[in-house]
This record gives sequence, C-alpha cells and structure tokens, in this order.
Amino acid sequence: MLKKLIVAAAMLLTSVSTLVSAADEVNVYSYRQPFLVEPMFNKFTEQTGIKVNVVFAKKGMAERLAREGQYSPADILLTTDISRLIELQDKKLLQAVNSQVIDGAIPAHLRDDNNQWFSLTTRVRNIYSAKRMGDVALNYEDLALPKYKGRICTRSGKHPYNVALVASMVAHHGEAKTQEWLEGVKENLARKPQGNDRGQVQAIHQNLCDLAIGNSYYFGKMINDEKQKVWADAVNINFPNQANRGAHINVSGMAMAKYAPNQTAALALMEFLVSEQAQQMYAEVNMEYPVRAGVKRSALVDSWGEFTADDLSLATIAKHRKTALMLLDKVQFDL
Amino acid sequence: MIEKLVGARFSVNTLLTFLLISLLTLALLMPVLVMFYQGAFAPFSLFSHLWQTVLPQYLSNTVWLGFNVVMLSLLFGGLSALFLHFLPIAGANYLRWLLLLPLAMPAYLIAYLYTDLFDYAGLIQRFLRATFDWQSPNDYWFFDLRTLGGASVIIALVLFPYVYMITRTALENLDPKLLQASQSLGVSPWRGIKRVILPLVRPALAVSASLVLMETLADFATVQYFAVNTLTTAIYDTWLGYSDLATANALASILLLLVFFVVVLEQKSRSKLNAQSQNIALAQTLFKPHKLMLWFATAFCWLLVIAGFLLPLALLLVMAWQYSDSQQLSLLMTIGGNSIYVAGIAATVALLLAIVFTFYRKFSLTTFRQFPLGLSSLGYAIPGTVLAMALLSTFGPIDFWINDIAAAFDLERPGLVLSGTIFAVVFAFVVRFMAIANGTINTGIDQIPDNLIKAAKSLGSGHFSILRRVYLPLLKPSLLVAWLLVFVEAMKELPAVLLLRPFNFETLSTYIYQLISDEQLEQGALGAILIVIFGLIPIIWLNRKQEV
Amino acid sequence: MATSPIIDINTLDVVIDEKAILNQVSFSLSAGEILGLVGPSGCGKTTLLNAIAGFLAPVTGEITIDGKPCFSTNTTVAPEHRHIGVIFQDYALFPHMSVAENIAYGISQYDKHSQQEKVKKLIAMLKLEGFESRYPHQLSGGQQQRVAIARALAPEPKLLLLDEPFSNIDARLRNELMIELRQLLKSLSMTAVFVTHNKDEVFTFADKIAVMHQGHILQFGHPVEVCKQPCSWQVADFLQLGSWLNATLYHDKLDTPLGLLSINNEFDRQDNQIALLIKPQHLKVMVDQHGESVIQHINITEQGYHYIVAPVSSKHDYQLSVYSEQVIQIGQQVQLSIIEHDYILFRRDNGMS
Repeated sequence: MLKKLIVAAAMLLTSVSTLVSAADEVNVYSYRQPFLVEPMFNKFTEQTGIKVNVVFAKKGMAERLAREGQYSPADILLTTDISRLIELQDKKLLQAVNSQVIDGAIPAHLRDDNNQWFSLTTRVRNIYSAKRMGDVALNYEDLALPKYKGRICTRSGKHPYNVALVASMVAHHGEAKTQEWLEGVKENLARKPQGNDRGQVQAIHQNLCDLAIGNSYYFGKMINDEKQKVWADAVNINFPNQANRGAHINVSGMAMAKYAPNQTAALALMEFLVSEQAQQMYAEVNMEYPVRAGVKRSALVDSWGEFTADDLSLATIAKHRKTALMLLDKVQFDL
Repeated sequence: MIEKLVGARFSVNTLLTFLLISLLTLALLMPVLVMFYQGAFAPFSLFSHLWQTVLPQYLSNTVWLGFNVVMLSLLFGGLSALFLHFLPIAGANYLRWLLLLPLAMPAYLIAYLYTDLFDYAGLIQRFLRATFDWQSPNDYWFFDLRTLGGASVIIALVLFPYVYMITRTALENLDPKLLQASQSLGVSPWRGIKRVILPLVRPALAVSASLVLMETLADFATVQYFAVNTLTTAIYDTWLGYSDLATANALASILLLLVFFVVVLEQKSRSKLNAQSQNIALAQTLFKPHKLMLWFATAFCWLLVIAGFLLPLALLLVMAWQYSDSQQLSLLMTIGGNSIYVAGIAATVALLLAIVFTFYRKFSLTTFRQFPLGLSSLGYAIPGTVLAMALLSTFGPIDFWINDIAAAFDLERPGLVLSGTIFAVVFAFVVRFMAIANGTINTGIDQIPDNLIKAAKSLGSGHFSILRRVYLPLLKPSLLVAWLLVFVEAMKELPAVLLLRPFNFETLSTYIYQLISDEQLEQGALGAILIVIFGLIPIIWLNRKQEV
Repeated sequence: MATSPIIDINTLDVVIDEKAILNQVSFSLSAGEILGLVGPSGCGKTTLLNAIAGFLAPVTGEITIDGKPCFSTNTTVAPEHRHIGVIFQDYALFPHMSVAENIAYGISQYDKHSQQEKVKKLIAMLKLEGFESRYPHQLSGGQQQRVAIARALAPEPKLLLLDEPFSNIDARLRNELMIELRQLLKSLSMTAVFVTHNKDEVFTFADKIAVMHQGHILQFGHPVEVCKQPCSWQVADFLQLGSWLNATLYHDKLDTPLGLLSINNEFDRQDNQIALLIKPQHLKVMVDQHGESVIQHINITEQGYHYIVAPVSSKHDYQLSVYSEQVIQIGQQVQLSIIEHDYILFRRDNGMS
C-alpha cells in the first residue's frame, strides 16, 4: 500500500514539472474554444516552427492570470467579447504591444488607445425574423413594441453578448429609457430566456416565436450544418437600425499578458493573427467579419449584404456594462 | 515504570498525530477559508441591489430545487432499494448494479439529451404533432422540461443511486428478525418497514440525502441549461458580470452555510442508532406481495434504470453512430486516458485521507476528533468554479512563497509549482469529493460492532494492528465503494478541471463541454459514451468482485 | 510472590456523562480465584469490567494487574498492553476470520509454527476439532463461545474477564458448560472476573462474590459467608436470601406480625423500625382455620412445595416464602411460626418495598 502511494506521489510530481516552456513556444489562455482557433495555430506552427500551447476556459481565465502574477506562463489572451478585454486591462494584467504590423492591420477604433488590446474580428448582434413575416426593417427599439407580444425569443439577458447590447442602449438612450425598453422586451418574450443563439433560431423554425436576437456568424454556421440548416432556412437575418445609428457590433480580441515569458514568439503569433492569411481563415472558418481592411468576407457572409455598424466606441460599451447588468436584474429579465 | 514511558511516548504520538491531522484538514479546508475571507470584503451595495431585485427569487428557487431533488432522490433510491431487498423482483440480479449506473451519467449531459428529446422541437413533440396533426404550441399541452420541476426530476435521476446504494447497504446489514418481531406483534410487513426499518436506515438516508443536497446546490451547468436561476446563478453573475469576486465569494459562503445548517440540523435531530447485525437479510420470505404490487415494483425499478441510464445511452449511441469516425476514437482514447489518470489519483488520495480522518475520529480521545471528518467534507457544497477560483487564490500565494524562498537561497526560481498543474486538478477533485469518501467509510465503520474492536485490543492489538487486521478487511466493501464513487464523480467533474488544468490537457468532460457549449453534442457523443463506459468499468468490476 | 494479588483495585471512580457510575470501588483477587460480579442492571458491573480491561478511563483510583500498575493518577496502560483476556456477551468473533484465525489473532507475534501448535492445543482443549476452518456464522452459540474462550486464552493472559458469558447459552446446557469452564479455568489456575445478573451462576461458577449496587461494592467475600451474613438489605434482597418482615424493636423484644421474638444480637437501638430477613428454612407452616396467614401461591419444585404466604388481615403487609412437604390448597388459612435463630435485622429505609 505504502509503496503504491509513493509511486503515485512520484508520478504526480513528475507530471507537475512538465510546464517548463522552451524558447520556441507560445502559451495562450483562451476564452475561445480551441477548435475555433486551432486551424490558425496549426498554420502558425507550420510556418514558424513555434509551438502553441492552449488552455481554454469560458470563465475565470482573468483570475487565473491574476493569481499566477509574475510567474504566469501565459503569453497571449484570446477573448470573445470586449468586456473581457477591458476587464483584463482594468486589472492591469496586460502590456502594451507596439507593432507597426498590428497597428497597420487594425483600424484605430477597434484597438486600445494604449495598444493593450486588439480586436481580431467583429460580429453583429442581429435580429433574426421568421421567413413567414417577409421582409422587415427593424430597430432594436422595436423589440419592445406591443405588436410583438409573445413573439420574441432570446438567450439569457446576462450573457455577455446581450449585456453588451443593453450597454449600447444605455449609451444611446440613458438608463431610464433602457429600463423601459427592457421591460417592454421582457413583456414580449415567448418564453423564459434560455439556451444559446442557435436555440433561438431553432425556436423560430418550430413556430415558438417570430423574432430572435443572435450573433451573425451563427447563421453561417447553421447553414453549413447538416441538421441545423432547416432551422436557418426558416429565418431571415436582419441588420438592425440601418436607417439610423447602425447595428450593434462586438469583437473577439487578443492581448499580451503583462508578464509574458515568450514575448518574441507572442508578438509573432499576434502579428500572424492579423495577417491576411489568418484573417481570411477567421472569415471562412468562423463566418466572422475580419478586422483587416481588404480581407474578403466569406461568400456566404458577403451575401447578407453591406450594413452600417454603430460607431459607438467599444470602451463606452464596456463602461455601461455594469449599469446594463443592474437593469437586467431590476426588470428580472431572466425570471 | 516502563508503562509510564509508554504513556509518555503515547502523548508525543498523540501530539504529532494531532498536528498532522490538523495540517491535512487545514489543507483541505483552505479553499473554503479563502472563500470566506474574500467574501468578507464584499461591498454591501451590490449585495443590496441583488437582494432588492433577483436574489429572493433565486433563493426560493434554490431551496425548492434542493428540497425537490432530495425528496425525489429519496423516493427513487429509497423505494428501489426497499423493493429489491424485500420483493422478488424480476431481473433483480441485474437491477442490483444497473441501478447504480445513472451515477456514471453526467447531469449536464443528461440535461442536454432530455431537453433535446422533450423540447418543442424534440423527437417526442414532433412525433405527437405529426400524429395528431397539431400545428402550433397552442394546439396542445405538453410539459415543459425547462422548469424547476423538470430540472428537479432530471437531477434526481442521476443522483438517486447515492440513496439507493447507501440504503441498500444499510438494509443488508439489518437483522431480518426485526421485521419478524414486528410481524409477530401483529404489524403487517409493509407497516413494519415504516415503523421499524425506516427509522433504522434513517442515518443512511440522511447521509445520502446530504450528499444529494450538496451536489444539487453546487450545480451550475445543469440548472443553467434548464434556465432555472438559483443562488449559483447569482454567484456567476456577480463574478463574471459585475466582476465582483468578493460578492461572489460571499454568496458562495452563504450557500455553504445554508447546506451546513441543514446537515447539522439533521444530525442533531437524529438519535444515535447503531445497527450492529451482520446478518444477510432473508427478508424476501416475509412478504406475500400482491401481483399488482410486484408488477409495480418491478416496473418502478426498471423505469429508473431506463430513464437514468439506458435511454440516454441509447440516444448517445445513435448520435455516435451518425457522427463519429475512427480518427476521433483514437483522439478520445488519449483524452480518456487523461481522465482516468487524474480521477484515479484523486480517488486514491481521497480514500487514503478519508481512512485517516475516520480512524482519527474513531481512535482519538480528544474532543477535536470529530472536526477533521466534518470540515474536510465541506468542499462538496462549493460550486466547482468557485472552488477552482478559491484554489487559484490559495496556490498563487504559495507559489510566490516557493519562488521567494528559492530566490533567498540563490536558487533558480522554479516558477509555478502548483498553479496550472495536474496537482492542482487532483487537489480540486479531492477537496470537492472528500465528502463522499468520508461519508461512505464513516457509515461503514459505524456498522462494525464496538466489541470486535475491544476484543482485538484485549488480545494485544494496537491501533495500527487493529486498522490492518480488523477494520480494513471488514471495511473492504465500503472502501471499494468510496473509491468508485470518487472516481466516477471525478471523471464527470468539469468546472474545476477546466480552469485549473495545464496547457494542452483535455479530459473527456472538457472535451464534451466544448462541443455541448457549441450545440454540437453529436460530435462529442462518442466522448460522452466513453465517460459513461469508463464510469461503468469500476461499477461492473466491483460488482463481479465484491457484490457491491 | 504467592501472596501478591493478581488484580488489585483501589478506590476506583468512574464518571460517564457527569454521572458517577463507579464509586470508590476496591477489591483484590489472588491467583486462580474466580470472582462473580452481581447486581441489578445499571449497578455498574459491566462498567467495572470495562475499566479493568482499559476500555474506559476511570477518574481516580488504581488498577494493578499482576503487580503491574495499569491505571493510576499518572499511568494509563492501553488495553492492548494489559495482558488480559476478554470474553464478550456476543463473543465478538471476527466475522472475516476462520476459527483458527480467530484463535491465532492474539498470538500473531509468535512464529508460524508456535502459532499452529498453540491453536491446535486450544482447539483440542475446547473440543473444537474439525471446526478450524469454519467461519463464526457457521457455528452454534455454544461453539462460538468456545472459540471466544480459546481466542482469549491463546495469549496466556494473567486475567480473564467475562461479560455475561452464559446468557446466550441454552438453559439446559448452561450448568454443564459452567462446570466445564470452571474446571478448565481451575486447571489453568486462571484468575477470572465475570459479570452476571444471575445469582445462581455465581454460586456455581465463582469462588468470590461481589454484590454491586449503584456503583458501590456492597459486599465482597466467599459466597457462603455472604449468604450467611449479608451486610445490607440490598445484598440479601438481590440474592433473594429470604423474605422480608416488618418489625418494631422494643428493648430486646422484636414485635413482628408473627409474634414477639427475643433477640440478643447487637443492634443499633436508636431506630426501632426494623426489617427482618426470614429465610424459608426458618419458617414453619401449619394448616389452621383461624391462622393469620393465607396461602397465596404454590411453586412446585424438586425440593417439595414452595408456598408464598400473605397475611389475612390488611393491617399487615408481607409475602413470605416457605417450603413444606405438606400439600396445602391456595386460599387455605395457615399459622406461620418463626424458628429461633440468629436473626438478621436491617434498619428499614425508603428503598424497601
């Protein structure tokens, strides 16, 4: 018994010390699911010989980074939402990256003034409508109209994508108006907020509702999915507020950790991610809008047409995040 | 004179043991303490905002969810154990272990499968609409699984085996003469069960119910899937939404205290009962059940197995058949190896620690002896992610100290020794599932008659000798069950391993989670089946070897 | 060495849950003596056994076993170092071990060969041949007891403790077994303490008797002496030495419901309310239509008829035991008379019924 114990302990200890990172490696803490970014990483390793190590978690990466402090092995952080980037910055976990390559690739309004974070892709918060409704021109504000009572589906109001949307409403209309709007939307919900963005499109397909809020790239992915294609076929994708301020957009992004041990390799990876090649992959594989000018959207995404994006700064949206959350609690949006 | 020396050495031993045990307890308790400590700095404003808006509803949902799941689990697990023990159920030999299998089914998985099946867009409702030519949801009524009630049933379906297993063991240790005695006093066997057997197995029911309660309240993924907002929702909202870790910790502390309160209350209200019979029940001869009754009991047991295991497994198999290929299989074997590796180590460590704690309780003369067992069990009631956060907060500073010390001695700084390693993952599993090992072994130990131990002592055996020659052989079934339960739980565990793991380290649960979170369980069906199968191996092996 | 006691207990106090269970208990036994501890349930006899074995710690006092201090103010020897054998009421055989393994449990430090020799010897001694590889649940109660005895004897303890050893044995076999076990212990010169609530077991099995009541040893001595001269009414009452008769003392005369008696033994004359112990052999019964007593119950025994006699008048209250060869009907009025002897008198107190 004791012998086995010692062996087990020894095995445990040896497995502990496998962390030593060689010079030609780069370590990534990712909020994005690996299979979404792995194609890019593989390409990068192929071209540079630098190995990419990934840990993925949807929650808590910022805390892990903070606790590990100066000894953290993390070089790069990938997020799926602006608020995570701002959070990392607020906690002083990032360092500025001054690279002409990156600055040249990303428009100024999609990166931090101090070069601490950078967007990689943008995505629109669309309103999907049932095909049976025909063509509709919608504003986010319209979701509170009484005529849509019992016809709207959405995922949890607390999901970062929805919170960012509400935050943009606060920025445009103020707190009181936004609360009114939220109450109206809640009143119109066909069912308690649940599931994810694809689930809402499915619900339209099943006649449970007529309108749903969802990100743009899901539409593309569903069309490419054997089973989900029928759901997507039941809806139209609409870009809201085209007659006025434009559609709300969010970004996925990247940043370099403050204590990144492999800065050179990290910089190489970051520059690669904004390269034409990687941006093209983002566009094709993930159906997102590339940030780099001149990179073509995927043919499918392109077929949805041009749209006007809300030019509200990402920092402003992040600033109103807390207010948005409190309003969602206040109107008991999810209950 | 010699004896005095022996006495003196004994007290040094006592002190050393005390220190060692305290250290172990403290290590396991650390995340809880860190959580409390960080919670103490929660700003009042956010808390009062939550209280004025959503918290009362969350709290009421939490209480109801806990209550429902515990009651349903007691109903499922208790009744099936009673039926199997007292009635000649068809297929009892298989049911004995089949009823354990739902444990191998992760709750988030079964939640996904069942919502998929019963949703408006699911197979069942589609079939009904096609058959009866209904057009829209307004044409008919169908139960909504995404409700508090639905969540309760589904969670109970995978947690009831705890109740079943512990109750069955307790029943088998009861003296069948008790029922005969009650029968001789003119009480029918069924009422005898109510008046004699149930009070006697109450400690077992209570232990299993508290395990179920803790697991339910710590759950997040499943209730989120059912769109049921509970206290854990508030914990995640405050942490991820409001970026307020302190309030999240404060809420988690409240949750923990809530569980603690219920468990202590139950223990206080329970009188000390010592079932000390080694008899294997011949109880089935006592009953002359009505045919209908027997039919019902048989159907009840089989339905539980079907709903909790066979049906979800079948759904997974169909998906796997449609979507998987051999390349995926080889990838999954590697990942599965990781899962077995960490779960196996965690189960072994938890088992050894539980032995230490339970025997300390049994042997030590200090008033402190109860505490290690109870305190080391607290981790079970902490949601996995909160626990992972607390562990990050624990390991971080320790890693810093290690580096500072290394620097002080002019050594190369070793970097992170604990954070982001397999050690961290195993430690999290042990903290999280210690309660299961503790509870199982402690129940087992309480069923060993005191006189056996006294006899061993009078024959000259010291503590370690008694442990080796009397306790451990007699406890073998309990030890195996404890190991198995921790192993299966660790295989399924998700949030802690997600957040604490090293680079490029996937387990089956993290792999499936990625796919589920992207609505692509079909792709992960094979992995899910592997989780279930790896969970099955020990159950089947144990059943063959030891008649669990 | 011959005169030193095997067990010596001095002013032992045991407190459990703030309740005094043993109170100033003292006694000692010489080698080869068998002591029977008797008393009503709850009197502390099992506690005393546990304290000797070391299963619980006394508050104060001393326990010395074979000259070795096992408990005193600054010493506590663990049970495993006391060299005593214990036989439990339920035998406490290890269910996962065979008969031979059970017996060998306490001698595992011997080499394999000596172990086997010893087990073989004990198996023969306790007539357990053929059962070596059986498990406890495959044995009868009597066989289990033999295994328990063999197991306890294997390490050659200095002292054997037996907790109600015969209570689980068939009444028909009990006497035989007691004699057998007594002979075995005597042949080994084994000192033993056993607990029982059955006084007959003491008279058959023990050399010494200790009558316990509410944590005290009321009387300790040879069974014959104790029967002859019980030191308190509780002793006489528990041993059922006779029946009670209330009486009043006037100088040297005792006024009883059965008439005046002359007494000459010394007695504290302060208190004249007396309980007189009447053994059956000191009573005579005669049928008398005008007698003051009446036959209430008849037991048929191998020694003849055993009558329970009560007063006719409600002025008095007694229930006396008397033996007679004569056949008397229930309800028959009789005259009782007390044969003159050394009367055993106790002060009457509230505890008496």
